[in-house]
Amino acid sequence: MVTIPPYLNPGDTIGIVCPAGFMPFEKALACTETLKAWGFRVVPGKTLGNQYHYFSGTDEQRCDDLQQMLDDENIDAILCGRGGYGTGRIIDKLDFSKFVKRPKWVIGFSDITVLHCHLFSNYKIASMHGPMAAAFNDGGFQNEYIQSLHEALLGKKADYKTVGNVLDQPGKAKGILVGGNLSLLVNLIGTPSDIQTKNKILFVEEVGEYIYAVDRMMYQLKRSGKLENLKGLIIGGFSDMKDTTLPFGQTVQEAIKDLVKDYKYPVCFDFPISHEKQNFAVKVGIKYKLNVAKNLVELKEL
Amino acid sequence: MVANNSPFNTFDIRISMKRKDFLTSVIPLATISAAFPKAPELSQSLAPNKMPPYLKKGDVIGITCPSGYISMEECLPAINKMEEWGFTVITDNTVGARDFTFAGTDDERASGFQKMIDDPAINAIMLGRGGYGAIRIIDKINFRNFAKHPKWIIGFSDATVFHCHIQQKFGIPTIHSKMCNSFPLDFANADQTQIDSIGSIRQCLTGENMKYERPVNFENRFGEATGILVGGNLSVIELLDGSVSDLKTDGKILFIEDVGEYPYKIDGMLWNLKRSKKLDHLKGLIVGQFRMKPDDPGEEFGKSLWEMVMEKIAPHYPVCFDFPVGHVKENYALKCGMKHKLVVSDKGTILECVG
Repeated sequence: MVTIPPYLNPGDTIGIVCPAGFMPFEKALACTETLKAWGFRVVPGKTLGNQYHYFSGTDEQRCDDLQQMLDDENIDAILCGRGGYGTGRIIDKLDFSKFVKRPKWVIGFSDITVLHCHLFSNYKIASMHGPMAAAFNDGGFQNEYIQSLHEALLGKKADYKTVGNVLDQPGKAKGILVGGNLSLLVNLIGTPSDIQTKNKILFVEEVGEYIYAVDRMMYQLKRSGKLENLKGLIIGGFSDMKDTTLPFGQTVQEAIKDLVKDYKYPVCFDFPISHEKQNFAVKVGIKYKLNVAKNLVELKEL
Repeated sequence: MVANNSPFNTFDIRISMKRKDFLTSVIPLATISAAFPKAPELSQSLAPNKMPPYLKKGDVIGITCPSGYISMEECLPAINKMEEWGFTVITDNTVGARDFTFAGTDDERASGFQKMIDDPAINAIMLGRGGYGAIRIIDKINFRNFAKHPKWIIGFSDATVFHCHIQQKFGIPTIHSKMCNSFPLDFANADQTQIDSIGSIRQCLTGENMKYERPVNFENRFGEATGILVGGNLSVIELLDGSVSDLKTDGKILFIEDVGEYPYKIDGMLWNLKRSKKLDHLKGLIVGQFRMKPDDPGEEFGKSLWEMVMEKIAPHYPVCFDFPVGHVKENYALKCGMKHKLVVSDKGTILECVG
């Protein structure tokens, strides 16, 4: 059984931590103001605005800050300020014993994929893959993707519809949704945070990689058996892709299509889960229905 | 204060002008080019039927390209040098073939490799270059004949796919070394370490005793170990996680190298090794060359390779840094899958093949 943390009510408290990269305090202001406007209290962790080289603090500082937020009875949800790199450095130092007894929504994406996978594979606790603090800036707090985060926090069931892609493989599927950033998903293979994908709907997204590197990572998913028994596959945004001097000869979408074309389950491309503005909040560990039809893709929370 | 980390400076201090002695052999270097000594007796660590036969004069080396594109012209220095060693060299259709970044389509590359391992007239296989592509064909290859009649497969980087796959599935040794694209156009003016590195391929192939020495490095963790040598490119080792080719490292001496990655990426890969328990039960660890991509401005990672490694390893085994294996001129041929003795001490480091 999957544990679904309690949804939030106005007046509840959201803690903001940075378990990975450095996030200047002022870049999180639009986020904190919006959360307050939604009626939540906001408690910034010690790592928000703090810096240690690339990171938002030493491993100890980042671990302590997140640990405190996980354990604090007065914190109802944890929003990660940003990703970057570093959650994997502290994941094994975290103690989830109190969190398991009093689960709360952990929100973020990219490097936060480590937390999503770890929580689901070890404790079957659902978590929220969605926009982080920087996405609220430059008027972002008004867009439908930030609104989707608000609705997800309040427990409103999502029903996302997007136009299809010519590469889509039509079909219908129901299953628990798992996934996240492709680099992190493959980095976790073989570790205690590795996710099982059998009978699941898997989603992946990526930013700033070479096309061949994406191809390579998709081969790893395939060779480690993570693609063959899916219910459905959601290919999110792959932004800022780079190519080698000798070009790869395909887009990432074409390369992925080649790898999955023999599977019978539905596959959709360019779904709005990404490092760009287009980044709907989805819940890892929750059951969804995926309908991939001609010119229409629907992901509906059950 | 730790010792200077530069491979050249540490080297110069200890044995200036005698770089070639780094790779010692039972035969003086001046005479080995014409010599094909009898293969040493095998230890019990490897069943004789697992052992690819060492090469004799006149034996055939086939060149094929399972990964990136390389032209025939770029392969010529390697062809000439290996013929100079007394071997016959043949190439297949993948040399000079090009499908974008690859040396032909997946089917063409798989078929080229398959024919080379199945052809009884070919005694060893030298890969054209690395790049990317081995993972796309490894599951198309049928190793049945190869398992019965093993032959040396030579390469590194992307070829780590073959080293690990063959080690895990068949326990057959392979040679981790430079490939065709690393042979200099002009040997007369090449860096001595590069010449020695290429010479070490011949030494491996002909069954000479392989012994590698390194001056003392106080970043090392001293100790002695004996075990099967496995390893290769760190990204590729991670890539194989969870697959049938996944490298098991318990009781082994592991070597790793990588190139062109950001420090944070290397850190992430090392965490993957640690968290997948590949560092817990090693006999020894050899850290090769890591020419990392500089951090982007304002994104300085702030940890050295030494720090990244030392914080993750178990306390019981010797660790050697700055070993000459990797994407550099000085990249000596190593026999993966064979028993080696590693001695890391305040006298220096010695790695010796004892299998």
